[in-house]
Amino acid sequence: MRRAAILGYGAVPVGSYQRAPAGTEVLEHELATEVVLQAAQMAGLSKEDIDGVVVAHPGDHTRQGYFHTFLTAHLGIRARATVIQVLGNGMTGGHAFDIALQQVTSGQADCVLSVGVHFETGIPTAQHLDYSIRLTGDVDFQSVFGAVPIAWYAMDAQRYLHEYRVPRATLASIAVKNRDHAIANPLAQFRTPITLDEVLNARPIVEPLGLLEVPGRADGAVALMIVSEDMARASGRPYVLVRGRGFEHEGLHQISDQPGDALSYASLQGASGRALTHAGVSLEDIGTFQVYAPCTIVEALGTEALGLFARGRGAAAAAAGDTRFDARYPVNTCGGCLSRGHPPEVTPLYDVVEAVMQLHGRASGRQVQRREFAMTISELGKYNAALVHILEGKA
Amino acid sequence: MSTLQRLQMPGNRPFPPRVSAFTRPFWEALGEGRLTSTRCQQCGIVSFPPRNLCRVCWSRDVAWLGLATHGTLYSFTRVHVAPGAFREDTPYAIGIVDLHQGPRLMCRMIGEVDTQHLDGPVEMLVLQYQDGPLFGAQVREPS
Repeated sequence: MRRAAILGYGAVPVGSYQRAPAGTEVLEHELATEVVLQAAQMAGLSKEDIDGVVVAHPGDHTRQGYFHTFLTAHLGIRARATVIQVLGNGMTGGHAFDIALQQVTSGQADCVLSVGVHFETGIPTAQHLDYSIRLTGDVDFQSVFGAVPIAWYAMDAQRYLHEYRVPRATLASIAVKNRDHAIANPLAQFRTPITLDEVLNARPIVEPLGLLEVPGRADGAVALMIVSEDMARASGRPYVLVRGRGFEHEGLHQISDQPGDALSYASLQGASGRALTHAGVSLEDIGTFQVYAPCTIVEALGTEALGLFARGRGAAAAAAGDTRFDARYPVNTCGGCLSRGHPPEVTPLYDVVEAVMQLHGRASGRQVQRREFAMTISELGKYNAALVHILEGKA
Repeated sequence: MSTLQRLQMPGNRPFPPRVSAFTRPFWEALGEGRLTSTRCQQCGIVSFPPRNLCRVCWSRDVAWLGLATHGTLYSFTRVHVAPGAFREDTPYAIGIVDLHQGPRLMCRMIGEVDTQHLDGPVEMLVLQYQDGPLFGAQVREPS
């Protein structure tokens, strides 16, 4: 079986691009241009090398429709393998990466551009939420109550604190850890230090979570150059080999209608196990974990589902420093969704960028020690599905 | 089966549900004070919301039944940053309720709800808006 590799990446700092003064807007393909050229230059590739283009669906708030063909035309790429736009909730960027890999491993392509732009900061929050309640719930039986996407995580948090008797501050400490990481990440949206008191005293957003435990509004753009292993090796440049892949959808949308444990994130258990088996490595081989976690609670539950910590112990482990970049199980060394920032459709692509930077030893100030293998995770719903990749650094 | 307490709510439903030929019995029953759903006649699973297909065994043989009027609170949150449609209600609480004998559902929480009420008893309500009903729950203090 052919294997695929990441030979180049480009990304702009997560932030506000769409929220610009009238008459001086930043356009989605303009931002894409920047990141695509960064990725191509790093890989030493030109547009003639690119066989296919996989675009993360830019969400509902960009003006340009059919962005994949528009962007392919803008870049002047004559694609022989595919041009496709993919959508999968918070997993959208994960699919953009995954489909590009499959184009290469299947032999359809030797080089695929995986790229995404997410814009939302030009849209008022209330208007954005009018749209997003339709995504994370049954529109006729759940959205009717105003269940915003992070409300589901908030209910996980409330249950977690109750069921495992976890102090509020223990869970909140994950936000401080992530901010500490983001301070060293030039791509991060929020880089000023925060204290635990500030997290605990932030205004409530979805109780028990306050402003610093939920993601801010964010725009972003990322491009990856995905090539065959042979092409990566022949380049003479450092690359990252994709060693394993696992996926699982638990067949639920948000919550089960049968009473029981809602905190197990079983899809992540299944997908991560499959990815490790596929890669032929063990959990203990992984030196850094990029866990898709829009809220503090999601990171705690994600690390438990992975098996890094026992059920109910994820928050306490993070509070004890066990998930810092210099500890045994580094988690979200980029600062995660909370501080690196969360432009949902491209968040998983940013996570791949961080994993590659770590494996290449280019994560100054947050560099992990063990840089042989990294795990990246994206999810959708309330971890109703998880997509996991295992990456290996090659000098 | 007993009927639910009816609470008059101001104005119209903020984000009204659609009504199909299949779901009409649910909304009509709710309007009459009864919370209902479907039970698979093959495997016995009671689903929520009502489904025209059993998601466990794929049987189309489903029948309506009345649900319990009481349950326990599994979790809840209070939403402080809300969609435009819910601006008038903010902040508002929503919760996950396990009805006695199942199923589990999510709904609006009315009245006081706090962490001390988790795993405690709740009572289902009909929230009667001008344009139609929704279902909700309120904490029921142990008598």
